[in-house]
Amino acid sequence: MTTDNSTIATGDEPPAQERVSREGATGNSRWPLYIAIIAIFVLFWVFGAINGKSTTTMLNLTVEGIMLGGILALGSVGLTLVYGVLKFSNFAHGDMMTIGAFVAFALMQVLPGYEAIGSFSFGWGLLLAMILAAPVVAALSLGVDFALFRPLRRRGASVVLLTMASLAAMFFLRSIIYLIWGADYHFYYQGRANPAMQLPFGITIQADKLFILVLALLMVGLVWVLLERTRMGKAMRATANNPDLAQVRGINTERVIQWTWIIAGSLAALGGVMYGLASQVRPEMGFVLLLPLFAGTILGGIGSPVGAFIGAMIIGVAFQLSSAFIDPTYGPGVAFMLMILVLIVRPMGLFTMGGD
Amino acid sequence: MPLLEVNGITAGYGDSEILRDVSMTVEAGEIVSIIGPNGAGKSTLMKSVFGLLHPKTGSIRFDGHDITHREPYQIVELGMCYVPQVANVFTELTVEENLEMGAFLLREASLEDRKARIYDLFPRLKERRRQRAGKMSGGERQMVAMGAALMLDPKLVLMDEPSAGLSPVMVSMIFERIAEINRNDGPAMLIVEQNAKLSLAMSSRGYVLAAGENRFEGTGPGLLNDPEVGRLYLGG
Repeated sequence: MTTDNSTIATGDEPPAQERVSREGATGNSRWPLYIAIIAIFVLFWVFGAINGKSTTTMLNLTVEGIMLGGILALGSVGLTLVYGVLKFSNFAHGDMMTIGAFVAFALMQVLPGYEAIGSFSFGWGLLLAMILAAPVVAALSLGVDFALFRPLRRRGASVVLLTMASLAAMFFLRSIIYLIWGADYHFYYQGRANPAMQLPFGITIQADKLFILVLALLMVGLVWVLLERTRMGKAMRATANNPDLAQVRGINTERVIQWTWIIAGSLAALGGVMYGLASQVRPEMGFVLLLPLFAGTILGGIGSPVGAFIGAMIIGVAFQLSSAFIDPTYGPGVAFMLMILVLIVRPMGLFTMGGD
Repeated sequence: MPLLEVNGITAGYGDSEILRDVSMTVEAGEIVSIIGPNGAGKSTLMKSVFGLLHPKTGSIRFDGHDITHREPYQIVELGMCYVPQVANVFTELTVEENLEMGAFLLREASLEDRKARIYDLFPRLKERRRQRAGKMSGGERQMVAMGAALMLDPKLVLMDEPSAGLSPVMVSMIFERIAEINRNDGPAMLIVEQNAKLSLAMSSRGYVLAAGENRFEGTGPGLLNDPEVGRLYLGG
């Protein structure tokens, strides 16, 4: 990730087919955009104040937004990796999160560790269930890829077709959820108190939500290290950047795709469990998240995990802050307005990975 | 037994046949050029050899293995590397990462020795090893692409139009490097080149392809001095 936008000019001519890099195409820095986003948030604060909301309320909404951003980030990082490597928008990603939440719910019924840990509302059982749900969802992602996307890839299916296939997978997975668990709402901990902690500046926050944020940061950091430092991670970036050349270099791109699904599926499971903890476990939960997930992913620059994290944070905060002056039902509208504004200024999003 | 043996292959995309019954060989350590007019099927021949396109008939053997139906990553494993003409570097990766991807198949803990050898060959790359390949000039990209292909110490390197789009100074520099890499038990080279005179001058043998078929073959100097080849394909 560089902020340097100058193209290095040297004596020899570029090849005839050379394309201007996407950053070079606009030639502008990201800073005006960052400032614009901050300005929009300040504006939201002002709207909130006009609507009679106190600074403490606004501060708390911001903190809530960051926590929501953490949940979104766990989903959007996987979504962006799949997009980067496989080049299509995976509509089934939200339902992968739902399945993660339900699998953990099922596992918790048989696992010990129900008692709450410290100030958290959850016990060891939930953490264990979450860790076990990750490989289950990863395996399911691999299975869907094997049965659906791989045959399409082999036949050279277009991106549109793959996207539509993911839409089909989304409905299929949702049906399975209804089939196994029904349409009911579930809580990981029915009726358990989840008192908020008092922090300086009048910020009140539930310990659970702090945990969600730390987990999201940890996972995004882990993905970053994987992509930047490991052999397979670099091969993932290489494949995202230029799949044909990746094959030429001896990279087994099918293996890369499998790792992509494993990471995306595992993160989706964690995100689903965390969302289930913060609200409730229900069949539509992943679908509700899907649009904000796309917004965050696109905002951050499709294919960039760091971008997906920051995009998720921006969307989360915009969601919560806007609820100070308009009905929360319109939250998605506000988030998408923000996304469109960013894309008008910087069509490639805040960050980019891949694409040659 | 030749290192590479292409035996009467017919290949193309879909129903079209771009190559018809093309045969050729490359011996270990040789430089072999394929020349011919645009659309003669030179790049298609390269892609068929490297498994990016599977021939409909005929066979391809490399170093004692039948590779006719193998995938590129399996062919790389046998010691053949390919430098495509365009999009031949990972633009989003640094120079160093590009080299590392060239040795993806090795599970060695350290690639430092191999990278050092490439940096000796192209000192410019060492200076710029932390730079993203997409921000480099055409000549530098060609160096990155060649360096990445050499990371595995291949037995045969396929080069598709190494001089395309480069300035004359860069072209002679790249060709000097190709000769240097080939010397002293270096890999054999199979080069497809528009700049036929330059390419044949350094080749031990050459093939002329026209309309997807073998037209002429001979030693590099032999083809250069052949009046008919000169008139038809070397611009007089």
